[in-house]
Amino acid sequence: MLKIDKIIYKYKDESIYNFSMQAKKGEIVGIVGASGNGKSTLLDLISGFLAPTSGHITFDGFEITNLPPEKRPATILFQNYNLFEHLSVEKNILLGINSSSKKDDLKKIYQILDEVGLKGFEKKIVSTLSGGQQQRVSLARSLLRDKPILLLDEPFTGLDFDTRVYMLKLVKKITKTKQICTIMVTHELDDCKQIADKIYEVKNKKLTQLWV
Amino acid sequence: MLKEYWRFRGSLVPGLLASSFLLTLAFLLFLTLYSATSSGESIFQTLDARIITLLKFTLFQATLSTVLSVLFGTFLAWSLAHQSRFFARSFLIALFSSSLVLPTIIVVFGLITILGKNGWLNHLSNYLFGYSFEGFLYGLSGILIAHVYLNASFAARALLHSFESIPKERYKLAKSLNFSTFKRFKIIEFPAIKSTLLGISSTIFLLCFTSFAIVLILGGNPSYNTLEVAIYEAVKLDFDISMALELAFIQLSISIILVLVSSTLKTGVSNIKTQSLFIPWREPFYVGILQKVAIFLFGLFFILPLIAIISDGLNSDFIKIFSSSVFIKSFSTSIYIASISSVITVLFTILLASSKRNFALNYRLRKSFAGKFIAILISFSGMLYLAIPSLVLGLGFFLLSQRFTAPLVFWATFALLSANILMSLPFSLSVLYPSMLKTAKRYDKLCFSLGISGYKRWIYCEWPYLKESIGYILALSFCLSLGDLGVISLFGSQDFSTLPWYLYGLMGSYKNSDAAGVALVLLVLVLSIFILVPKLFSKGSVVKDR
Repeated sequence: MLKIDKIIYKYKDESIYNFSMQAKKGEIVGIVGASGNGKSTLLDLISGFLAPTSGHITFDGFEITNLPPEKRPATILFQNYNLFEHLSVEKNILLGINSSSKKDDLKKIYQILDEVGLKGFEKKIVSTLSGGQQQRVSLARSLLRDKPILLLDEPFTGLDFDTRVYMLKLVKKITKTKQICTIMVTHELDDCKQIADKIYEVKNKKLTQLWV
Repeated sequence: MLKEYWRFRGSLVPGLLASSFLLTLAFLLFLTLYSATSSGESIFQTLDARIITLLKFTLFQATLSTVLSVLFGTFLAWSLAHQSRFFARSFLIALFSSSLVLPTIIVVFGLITILGKNGWLNHLSNYLFGYSFEGFLYGLSGILIAHVYLNASFAARALLHSFESIPKERYKLAKSLNFSTFKRFKIIEFPAIKSTLLGISSTIFLLCFTSFAIVLILGGNPSYNTLEVAIYEAVKLDFDISMALELAFIQLSISIILVLVSSTLKTGVSNIKTQSLFIPWREPFYVGILQKVAIFLFGLFFILPLIAIISDGLNSDFIKIFSSSVFIKSFSTSIYIASISSVITVLFTILLASSKRNFALNYRLRKSFAGKFIAILISFSGMLYLAIPSLVLGLGFFLLSQRFTAPLVFWATFALLSANILMSLPFSLSVLYPSMLKTAKRYDKLCFSLGISGYKRWIYCEWPYLKESIGYILALSFCLSLGDLGVISLFGSQDFSTLPWYLYGLMGSYKNSDAAGVALVLLVLVLSIFILVPKLFSKGSVVKDR
């Protein structure tokens, strides 16, 4: 279980963020709220890009508050710049995993690309893919990294309706089958309602549970 | 906090070492200059009338040159922005971009060929009107013409990008509100170019304040001397080291103040490509004509000296020039010094920029209080050349060469390399740093979360996005080094010479045909490097949004 326990973060303009929440394995937690209220700050704190002023973040009882991003049990998907556009799909995914043997890695890549509906795209250069396909590649890499926490920072904003619905279903399926904690930040309450097990709202830089 | 610093040690430590090396070098040179002053008097106690005159003229010509260059440059950029279909527009813009790297001595040579007493203009005037004017090129007018030639084109190139960055919707809105051309400039365009204008003005002022070759050749007589030229004359002609030191300290004090004042402003140098964007505003007839005439006249003013160099150069006896041992020596010295200094400049630029960006990025050390101080120190070490002009730097090395016996070639090479690197750093940093910052802003989170660091980050994330800028700064620093006539004027001799120094010698001894040939070689070399090297590096570049 991911537990965020009284995390306080003071921004340089002296605004204070105050977060507490929990997410179980196999659960999707939606975070909604207006822009500038701290939705992305929460994900930055969980993923280790920002260090909290006080409080604790634990996963399965282990303290992860002070771990650097690459050592945290979390993988994150951003709205933009998830991939190196000049590299192939295969190379982009390879960069995210700790290689044991290249043959094994490639086998895993083919499997995961099949899972996200991108079979046969391995050698394609990322810049030639559509926005939806690029996000699926990013998701594939996140999944292959085998981290128990999946953080989604408005990853489907800008995608067309059909692709967004497809991606949401995919995230739900993966969360349930792999039993990971998924935290999805979005400003689309409808997206959350479709797949989230519980929804929090960030208001006045604090988290309030909206719906279970 | 130390833990955070430790996390970024890979980019922090090399940059800090590079910065310390540059600052130590500057400090040692300062100590050398200071310890060489025999009297313990403050320089301000010994300011005599001659020095005050020198100082006044230096500031006067720099101010006037800056005002004229910025005025012409702004008008030209405005005209180019609104005349996107002007014939040969792209060619002219590309030429104006090269003004920063054109060796001043060949610009002077070209201007003399066109505007000198025996120049093309005088011949034309004589032929058409039977009137021949005397040499107006020597003195303040010549200095101003040469400074405007180099700096107005540089300003126009940088400002054009600011004009083209104005959202087209603003023009549409202004048109719908029935703005006049003047009102459009005042309300839409001027606010958009203001910050670039400030940065460019400060860069141009610093360049004109420390201008050497132009004043040396076109100054004409002592009443048009600047501090830089007076230092050169004190060392090389009067052998008066104490006077040179006095002047050097004054030059140093003013330059440091100017650099500190302008350190927050941008230099205006970039490798951003203009996109020839169409501005949705049909100009009134007379405004359109005015803009076309401005582009045509300035284009002519810029191209004619280059054509003169080419046409005179082609008539030279190249077999004689290429077989001269002094030419071969000068050519090879220029090439190897420019090659080494450009490679070191690129290396130093990368180290300084990657260290400095740690303190500007949200997910790094931006919040660190000490970081602000370190970032300023790194910036200052990259701008040392503007604070320590080449002649002052050269004088320091010259004094060291007098104190510590070593072959002249050793000191001259070391002095030239140091001066060239310091000279190129402010410009190369202003090109590379924004690109490095942009790349890091985009990919920091991704790289941190995937654990991509060190050489892996450099290969996959930095190099593909930066190689175009790196190619540009390599070419820029090579060309700047190739054309400099500052430090070499103190160390140049028959045994140790560079192409600009060789050309200066030929001009001084009125070997005009040979000088024309050498000027052409230098021009072709500089333009080829400046055009081809960035092209080589831009192959397969992934930078799309410039």
